[in-house]
Amino acid sequence: MSVGVSEVIVGIDLGTTQSAVAVVDSGFPILLADEQGRSLTPSAVWYGANGEVEVGYEALHRSGVDAIITSVKSVMGRRAAEAEGRLDAEGRLETDAGKRSPEEISSEILKKLKGVAESRLETEVSKVVITVPAYFNDGQRAATKKAGELAGLEVVRIVSEPTAAALSYGLDRLKEKARVAVFDLGGGTFDVSVLEMREGVFEVASTAGDTQLGGDDFDQVIAASAAASFGLDLSEMEEMERVRFVNEGRRVKHQLSEEGKGVFRIPFTGELALSVADFDVLLAPFLDRMESACRRAMLDAKIESGDLDAVVMVGGSSRIPAVKERVKRVFAREPDLSQHPDEAIARGAAIQAGILSGTVREVLLLDVTPLSLGIETMGGLMNVLISRNTTIPCKAGEMFTNAVDGQKSMKVRVLQGERELASDNWELGAFEVPFKPSRRGQARVGVEFRIDADGILSVLARDVATNEDVVIQVGSAAVDVNEAKVEQMVSESVEFAFEDMNARVFEEARLKANELIPAVEVALEQAGDILDKDELREIEHSRDQVVAAIVAGEVAPLKAAVEELDKATEVLAAVLVDRATQALFSDSQD
Amino acid sequence: MDPYVRLGLPLQLDLDLEVIAGAARELAKAAHPDAGGDAQQFAEVRKAGDLLKAPVSRLKVALELAGGDAAERGSVPSELMDFFSPVAGVLEEVGAFVSERAQAMSGLGKAVLDAKVPVLKGKLELLIESLGGIETDQVGRFQGFDDRGWESCIDEMGEAFRALLFVGKWLAQLREATGKIFEALLAG
Repeated sequence: MSVGVSEVIVGIDLGTTQSAVAVVDSGFPILLADEQGRSLTPSAVWYGANGEVEVGYEALHRSGVDAIITSVKSVMGRRAAEAEGRLDAEGRLETDAGKRSPEEISSEILKKLKGVAESRLETEVSKVVITVPAYFNDGQRAATKKAGELAGLEVVRIVSEPTAAALSYGLDRLKEKARVAVFDLGGGTFDVSVLEMREGVFEVASTAGDTQLGGDDFDQVIAASAAASFGLDLSEMEEMERVRFVNEGRRVKHQLSEEGKGVFRIPFTGELALSVADFDVLLAPFLDRMESACRRAMLDAKIESGDLDAVVMVGGSSRIPAVKERVKRVFAREPDLSQHPDEAIARGAAIQAGILSGTVREVLLLDVTPLSLGIETMGGLMNVLISRNTTIPCKAGEMFTNAVDGQKSMKVRVLQGERELASDNWELGAFEVPFKPSRRGQARVGVEFRIDADGILSVLARDVATNEDVVIQVGSAAVDVNEAKVEQMVSESVEFAFEDMNARVFEEARLKANELIPAVEVALEQAGDILDKDELREIEHSRDQVVAAIVAGEVAPLKAAVEELDKATEVLAAVLVDRATQALFSDSQD
Repeated sequence: MDPYVRLGLPLQLDLDLEVIAGAARELAKAAHPDAGGDAQQFAEVRKAGDLLKAPVSRLKVALELAGGDAAERGSVPSELMDFFSPVAGVLEEVGAFVSERAQAMSGLGKAVLDAKVPVLKGKLELLIESLGGIETDQVGRFQGFDDRGWESCIDEMGEAFRALLFVGKWLAQLREATGKIFEALLAG
């Protein structure tokens, strides 16, 4: 890429809850602030009925009064079915000014940041590096690029967020050689990457994460738990009411991290005091998912925690004590908190912008593709062509031939993901490989899959006989979905389900009982000594009830008995898990 | 493409990983499109680095350069034979644990399964350690191959290649199995 040295390229962290823009000035990345001196812009957009648009704090101030759009990032490049009802069939969101696509809404945030940068730098800004979660797939990256275009910006590079954070961390450590893990827990997404830095080359070894896990989930879970304690159901509330609960959840989350306790309070509705211990319980399932991704990243990089020189934590939610604790346990070391959690990614984006504009030298970033890319085979399996964690840019080829005489083309489905079955992976789309008329097995078309430095796929077909190249458009899979048909499928399965609901509930309860009864024997043998007489009697009594209910064959009593046994054995289960965890961590710490 | 030539490295099996990675890094730095290089060249350098970094693929390159055949079938060192059944056994145990754990519906059912994990993990670690030892031993033969000249020890190189191939495959499977156990535990 040839970019003039004088041309300014800015770096943008387009976050789920907040965004920022930065630029390299005299070799150092700095955040650009708005007129009020604020360098973070809430990723909130408000549309007025007459087409007015407000972004950032202005939009956020309307929260709870007017409908505003927040966390649009979590539906970027997603299909209606994956967006929990936030998107319509065409993949758009409802606003007071009509329907808008996630790309259009994101572009408003980008325009705002472009404006901030232009007034700070007093020059026009038309080129930008935008960060995305490392675990964003092809569709989500392409949507982000589109948002940039809609904002009148040329997106010269898409960079992964943890990689950007690593650039920020490593810029003043260019002489050192180090292996670091970057743990990035933002508002809506979570990534963990393992990188090797030496002599100015930042090489990503592996990346893992979850694009649907972040601080927003914690606000939700606090709100839901408080609502439940008031006898309400968060998921059934009116939109405005729900927003009030979630906003209060966020406030309490911050209070818990800062003060160690918090009170959830909704006027005229209720109050709930929360301790850090309560919060930790709510967080546990999320922490487990994070730990899983961290272990995956280390496994893929073929390292163990002892091989790391540092674990860098960024992202707003890295402020939560329980998150820090878990990171410390998984990586068996104190995390490095030297980077500003909300600013490091924008700084890193600016550094990559500097590399591309020529103002930052001696630094090079080698990133990887986070997900395996493949095609569907005849048997419905995934045939991997480019495996995950391959350094980008990269390419792979596959040869196709006609299966019958005169076949004009064949359909190829392109997939991204790690599962064996094609249907379990994300379908990027499908394309037709064109064949020249010929006998079976005679046509030969080579298809090349390229992943560019943005992590975005392009496909090129070459007819081996004629040497003709065709750039193939991978059609979005979303177009193929026939809405009416899906509707029909859903309603059919619902009806079907109702017919034998009773039988199914009984079967489920029976299966669970069959699992619990022998488990009680084993557990009592291993840890029965910790129970007192009453507890023991209660477990044995519940178990006998279950056995009797199976014999009786009635749904309701069996379900109730199984639930009771489940509850009665909670303490016993906790003790077993505790012992196993202790044993695991005592021998992995050496 | 001869990766040794591409990276400008001496024709030796006994090469320090740092030396290979360093050569690949320097060339990749210049060839990367962001540094004004060309994507094709960048891909070649990466490929060459990948071929030489892992001892097993470096040995394969050497075998082919020496006119030998990197055959996957053939004799393997006898100490490897002792590993076939323990590796298969523990992988099977892990597979059973993972599927039972995924199907478990009750807290106690899961807990009883989880109680088996420390023992299972111990078995995996023991196997990984002993296979790692064999890997080190085989790589230790590289210097001898260099000293005697590759052409004169093709059969031994073939045997070492197959040993490294088996050990590498097993180690990958055992590490993956360790990962699967944690994934199952953390899935709740």
